[in-house]
Amino acid sequence: MAEHAHLEVNGLTKRFGGLLAVKDMALSVRAGEILGLIGPNGSGKSTVMKLIMGIERPDAGSVRINGVDVAGWPSHKIARRGAGIVFQHSRPLHRQTVLENIMLALLPDKLTRLFADPAVDARARAIAERVGLTAVLDRRPATLPFADLRKIEIAKAIARDPQVLLIDEPFAGLTAKETAAFSDLICELRDDGRAILLVDHNVKSVARLVDRVIAMYVGERIAEGTADVVMRNETVRRVYLGGSIETAARPESSFRDAATPFLAVEDVSVFYGKARALENVSIHVHAGEFVSVVGLNGAGKTTLFNAISGLLPYSGDIRREGASLRGQSAAAIARGGIVQCPEGRELFTDMTVRENLDLGGQHLAAAEAADQISWLFDLFPILRDRQRQPAGTLSGGEQQMLSIARALMMKPKLLILDEPTLGLAPVILEQISKALERLRQTTAITVLLGEQNVTFALPHADRVYVLEHARIVWEGEPARFAAEMGTGYL
Amino acid sequence: MRPFSTTRILLVGLSVVALASLLPLWVTGYILGLLTLAYYFGVFAMAWDLLFGFAGEVNFGPTFLIGTGAYTAGILDNVYQPPIWLCIAAGAFAAVAGGLVLALPALRVRGPYFGLTTLVAVLMLQNYVVVDASLTGGEIGLTVPDVISISDATNYEIALWFMAASGAILFALSRSPVGLILQASGQDAVQAGALGFNVTKHKLAAFVISAFFSGLAGALMVFYLGSASVGTFIDITVSVQIIIAAVLGGRRTILGAVLGAVFLIAMTEALRPIGDLANFVVFAMALVVVLLFPSGFFGLLTRTRESG
Amino acid sequence: MLFWQILIDGFAISSLYALGATGFALIFGVSGVLNLSHGALMVAAVVAAWAAGDQLHAGPYSGATLGVAVGFAATLLTYFLIVGPLQRTRKIREEEKEIFILTATLLWGIMIQELIAYLYTNNAKTVAPIVQGVVSIAGVRTPANEIFTAVVCWLAIGLLWLLVNRTRAGKAVLAASMNPRGVTLLGIELSQIYIAVWAIYGALVGIAGVLLGMFLGVSSYSVGPLTASAFSIVVLGGLGSVSGALIAAYVVGYLETITAYLISPAYRTIPALLLLVAVMYVRPRGLLGRR
Repeated sequence: MAEHAHLEVNGLTKRFGGLLAVKDMALSVRAGEILGLIGPNGSGKSTVMKLIMGIERPDAGSVRINGVDVAGWPSHKIARRGAGIVFQHSRPLHRQTVLENIMLALLPDKLTRLFADPAVDARARAIAERVGLTAVLDRRPATLPFADLRKIEIAKAIARDPQVLLIDEPFAGLTAKETAAFSDLICELRDDGRAILLVDHNVKSVARLVDRVIAMYVGERIAEGTADVVMRNETVRRVYLGGSIETAARPESSFRDAATPFLAVEDVSVFYGKARALENVSIHVHAGEFVSVVGLNGAGKTTLFNAISGLLPYSGDIRREGASLRGQSAAAIARGGIVQCPEGRELFTDMTVRENLDLGGQHLAAAEAADQISWLFDLFPILRDRQRQPAGTLSGGEQQMLSIARALMMKPKLLILDEPTLGLAPVILEQISKALERLRQTTAITVLLGEQNVTFALPHADRVYVLEHARIVWEGEPARFAAEMGTGYL
Repeated sequence: MRPFSTTRILLVGLSVVALASLLPLWVTGYILGLLTLAYYFGVFAMAWDLLFGFAGEVNFGPTFLIGTGAYTAGILDNVYQPPIWLCIAAGAFAAVAGGLVLALPALRVRGPYFGLTTLVAVLMLQNYVVVDASLTGGEIGLTVPDVISISDATNYEIALWFMAASGAILFALSRSPVGLILQASGQDAVQAGALGFNVTKHKLAAFVISAFFSGLAGALMVFYLGSASVGTFIDITVSVQIIIAAVLGGRRTILGAVLGAVFLIAMTEALRPIGDLANFVVFAMALVVVLLFPSGFFGLLTRTRESG
Repeated sequence: MLFWQILIDGFAISSLYALGATGFALIFGVSGVLNLSHGALMVAAVVAAWAAGDQLHAGPYSGATLGVAVGFAATLLTYFLIVGPLQRTRKIREEEKEIFILTATLLWGIMIQELIAYLYTNNAKTVAPIVQGVVSIAGVRTPANEIFTAVVCWLAIGLLWLLVNRTRAGKAVLAASMNPRGVTLLGIELSQIYIAVWAIYGALVGIAGVLLGMFLGVSSYSVGPLTASAFSIVVLGGLGSVSGALIAAYVVGYLETITAYLISPAYRTIPALLLLVAVMYVRPRGLLGRR
């Protein structure tokens, strides 16, 4: 049935307001082939998937499924044309049993189906057997473990019998054993003659499965080839790791609060619903130290920072100067001197740069605030030039600088920076890097930096942690990192 | 499969209805009258639950559909005096047409806008009825020359079996494959689309079905009461009572809506001694239920753990 | 002559609508709540002022103050008893909270309406105006009260603008309407902001209500139409845009006045409703809508 099934995308383009999310994207997947589409957050890979499936409408380009151009069609028509999608986050119907969820995927799009068809029931059970859900057919999703929820998603995909299957982050949150089982299932589907597109953050997790890989960055293709070739590609490595790595670490013994570090995260675990986002993570940061937490998108950096900032429930303990932070509201933790500059920046876009900064200085006396602002204008001169402009009109790099400056207005003792370099041009990275360097040399501020771009992170680090799939897998000095982790990182 | 199969539940329901049909043997005409109203109300609430519980759309103005059906039937009878069944059919059709007119803009917008659109529809109908008084009887109301029957028992049985039939159809629908698709459309439209279902088509169908039963029940009620007025069929207070009945009884159960309707009417009656404060107390109780027991009666009884 | 009459009357009524709608839009913009008990809260303020005059024989100033106080208290009660708990509860899924809040505030509003009808009947009530007498503008004899109404409304709106745009606390509120998480990250407790916003809303509702009572009078039947006109205006102006609501208030106010004078008072609410329907079909975002 799925003889020459293939997916062919050409010139695919999508704009969201002023943001060009996908630019001129092209790819093709043949029947019986698995293509990996990788890229960091903001690269456009998820948007490409949504465009193919009709969840978003492309502004230009064609999407051919078995030769028919479906670009711009509503998603249900594309689904009936032979496309299927497994979403990154499981989305079962919560009030229905597992069996009903699978049966739904087998139903035709008719208004007249008034009586249950035993054939549908039987087929649903067969599919459940294939993925390993037979034991839980009569249970509701809320009572099931994470892996079973993912199995439901795969079961629904199998039920649709698509010729083109799109899978988003197939192994996120799964154990090694579960990942292996899933990989086998995906290979089976491939062997059935389907064309499969796997979308993920990095090559490593899908390297074993894919026949070819396409890497994306800021909406465009930057490399294509086998997994090996792409992993070693210069542009890809620069995008993910930055360039060559320099370090300038201060030894840990030079920090005076060895017994009670300024920040101590102990055995912290966080769950999003059933998915494990952090697993028994422990880190510590000394007063005045610059610590980098390095890891790819989806590794858990943001979750860790949100737990420290009090924005998420967690198990374990987080202590500041020995006293537990548990129970304090997020705003109280921020007022207490642990200030986060989040990945999304969270600027007040309709307010001017100056107003954003003023809000950061809410808790200071007027004179003190004024001093702080002029110091910050010195640190980031471009902000002085743009102070009367609405924050939303600034470029990405300028917005990042504003976000950091606003956080610094609060005179934090610990500044948490989450992926400040995401999506920024190298020139801007230079400026931000210089600013961080000045902070390190002229103030006693403590910094916790979460980054995927190792070249940016390492020169500013006294110590490095590596976070991978919700766990800390490495800790040590930056120099050692370059030697030990460098090659295997991607 | 399910804890209780559809057929089993319908059979249990049938026996309860059969028992209820024997009530006229023991109970006064006054109580039969109350129950008659409660049964029609139950159909309003069940039709609302189909739209909300399944298609996931909160209709703040079910009385738009009900009022359209009721007034069309009543006005037709006043002006042309055709046979009653024709008036009732016309009422049902008018409600369906009204439902389509409402659904088309309403389904294009999301969240609070949908609810607001339905509220606006009710206000517009209310304004129209008041303004075009020569045709509709305006604020005073409309009287129709015909009624179905003057016997309390007959009216009761008609209402009872009508409610039973509507309930059976709506409930079976909710449990059928089409019902499953409707639930998916309501709970997760993106997923439903990705699974190949035309969500708009299904929600429109839910609207039409809800409109049909609402209009039909409204029209029947006109020929039971012998009159129609803004206060009985259109006012926003009536809409709110219908929503309360459905929410009290348990959203997404269909049958629970009838329990909610009977409870509401019984409560209002029981509180009659305190006079005009009765309404206040009933609404206050409903508010407490909404705040503390959002899953309603049926929710409490069956305790389906959906939000684990 | 008629032109001036329409101009003046329309201005007064539009200013009143503007005051009420501003509060409604503020609440939606900052805490995302469409308060369907809006009309009931205004009527409660009026009835309190009336009761003070009628039953306690208070003077117009004290009556008005009591009315505003009652409106303020009732609004805060709405937040603490109903909206706040619903926003925080874990028993309802996030996607459904909006609908529950709509339903609960609708219920609460009807409860207040029924209570008022029970305690004071549903006859129309007016409040003794603070400013008496008649003034002549461009040859039209206008009650001085109308001028007073317009002036007070604009004073209140002006104060609100100053508060939001020129004070630290006000800017925090504005920021919260743009990005609640951003505000938390800057060490400002959202819960305090919400209380502040509802308090401001309470004051606006109280003042608008009492002014309405002095100008036109209300009855318990006014609850529905008042809520309806507030959200029509806010939808027309664009949900979340306070300036949009201001403009829309004048559009609606003048539409109503022109209809009442040129066609018939009975039809006054219809053109605004038709406009609302048209807007929802064509541009559901409203004039200046953000969300």
